[in-house]
Amino acid sequence: MSSLNRPRPRIGPDNAPFWEGCRCHSLMLPTCAECGKAHLPPGPVCPFCFSDRIAWHRATGHGRVSTWTIVHKAWFPAFRDDIPYNVVQIELDEGPRLTSSLVGLSGRKPEIGQRVEVVFDDVDDTLTLHRFRILA
Amino acid sequence: MKLDAAIVGIGNSSFGRGLPDSQLRLAATAFKNAIVDAGLQRHDVDGLSIHLGSPIGVDYDRVAEAFGLEIRYVNQSWLHGRFVTNALQHAALAVCAGLADVVACVTAISFTRERGFLGGPGDVEGNREEGGTHGEAPPYGLTAPAGGAAIAMQRYMHVFKATSEQLAAVPITLRQHAMLNPRAIMKEPLTLQAHQNARMVVDPLRLYDCSLISDGAVVVLVARGDRAKNMRQKPIRIAGMQGIRSGRDEFIFAPRGLGINQQSGRAPAPRIVDQEVFASAGVERSDVQGFFTYDAFSPLVLFALERFGYCGAGEAASWVQGGRIALGGQLPVNTSGGLLSEAHVGGWNSICEMVRQLRGTAGPSQIADAAVLQWGTAWGDSVILTAGADRL
Repeated sequence: MSSLNRPRPRIGPDNAPFWEGCRCHSLMLPTCAECGKAHLPPGPVCPFCFSDRIAWHRATGHGRVSTWTIVHKAWFPAFRDDIPYNVVQIELDEGPRLTSSLVGLSGRKPEIGQRVEVVFDDVDDTLTLHRFRILA
Repeated sequence: MKLDAAIVGIGNSSFGRGLPDSQLRLAATAFKNAIVDAGLQRHDVDGLSIHLGSPIGVDYDRVAEAFGLEIRYVNQSWLHGRFVTNALQHAALAVCAGLADVVACVTAISFTRERGFLGGPGDVEGNREEGGTHGEAPPYGLTAPAGGAAIAMQRYMHVFKATSEQLAAVPITLRQHAMLNPRAIMKEPLTLQAHQNARMVVDPLRLYDCSLISDGAVVVLVARGDRAKNMRQKPIRIAGMQGIRSGRDEFIFAPRGLGINQQSGRAPAPRIVDQEVFASAGVERSDVQGFFTYDAFSPLVLFALERFGYCGAGEAASWVQGGRIALGGQLPVNTSGGLLSEAHVGGWNSICEMVRQLRGTAGPSQIADAAVLQWGTAWGDSVILTAGADRL
């Protein structure tokens, strides 16, 4: 199946460094230079202290499954052959959560609380998606 | 500014799936029925509040142009069910502020013709930098509002040990209500077995946990209290309101603090401000005789009941068992069948039902001596309607 048919992230000024990080196989988090907290989704200011001073730092790539679902309906033609497939939210050790998917589940359901680690899926020359694998 | 507004007329089109009519024709039918109900003329309507514009619904300027109206106040929100309460509240605020004499809340929907907007490649709402506002993440194949309800319910079930069998009480009860309602689309009984055997859509939501994809229109007319007193129908007072909640501890389809998206994950104790609608209306929660809510997905009913304190955090799945939310129970919910079984007219079908209940014209679904009813949503906004004409 062509990657061209897959929905792609919408990339703009605030989140471009995040997806550029994925291309380089680094999970990058916007982090406040004043209060030190990381946030997602990437925004122009710190949502905690409203500072403009945002720096991008590499995350550990570790976290836990905070919720999940398995999609059984063919909403996207590009995902039709993948049904049923999982979608998860991961709470990173740095605090923020992101939506991703788990690799290597082989038919099992995800479990909330499972420890996971980021992996990178090079979709094509311009897009790499983050995914996560369950840690033993 | 004192809140002094009332619903003075209601009208609807037929409800169905695959109706041949345009949304504008459905709206025209509902509009005509509403002005007859209110004893008004078309030109008495000088404000429009539009919940859902084109392409799922109709835009204010086309309504005004097509129906030959002279409009001096407009509110129109973007294409989300969540703005149902907002549209009614804006109508009430506009008549109180003198921006209009009579505001028509016009909601006309064709989901069957425009279903591409409800998820998949045609869902422009999900295509935001941060993903969609119901948690949609198209690059990972999560799309449609159902996905947001699913990830919230999945976590809720984990945290509070709730089950799909418990959740089934919501669609089963609302189906019982729909079976008393000749307007309802779904009229076959729904059993627990049928609910459990139905196909999974997006885990844990099964087919009957998801609302109807349907077509229909509703018009609700709102006027200032002093005008409402002299109209054809007993005025139904918009007694109190509270607005939509938003912030980092909120997710549109979850209780506060559940842990979806950036919510804290620590269920906060309810604050007075979270349930200010009761004080705004001058009633106690225990005065409320029926609860009406946006039941696009069955978990939303649980979350709304918890929001407004009918039970504690995590208790709703067990609280709704045993007929408690059925007609004749402690707190009847969505007595015309709701979005799950009557029709999905953005919640306005249930607002019409509240008006019929308070007028005493709800037929076999009538709540005895209905005088105080609450509309409240999983995202925390609410309107309390009362039959107390003497307070106008």
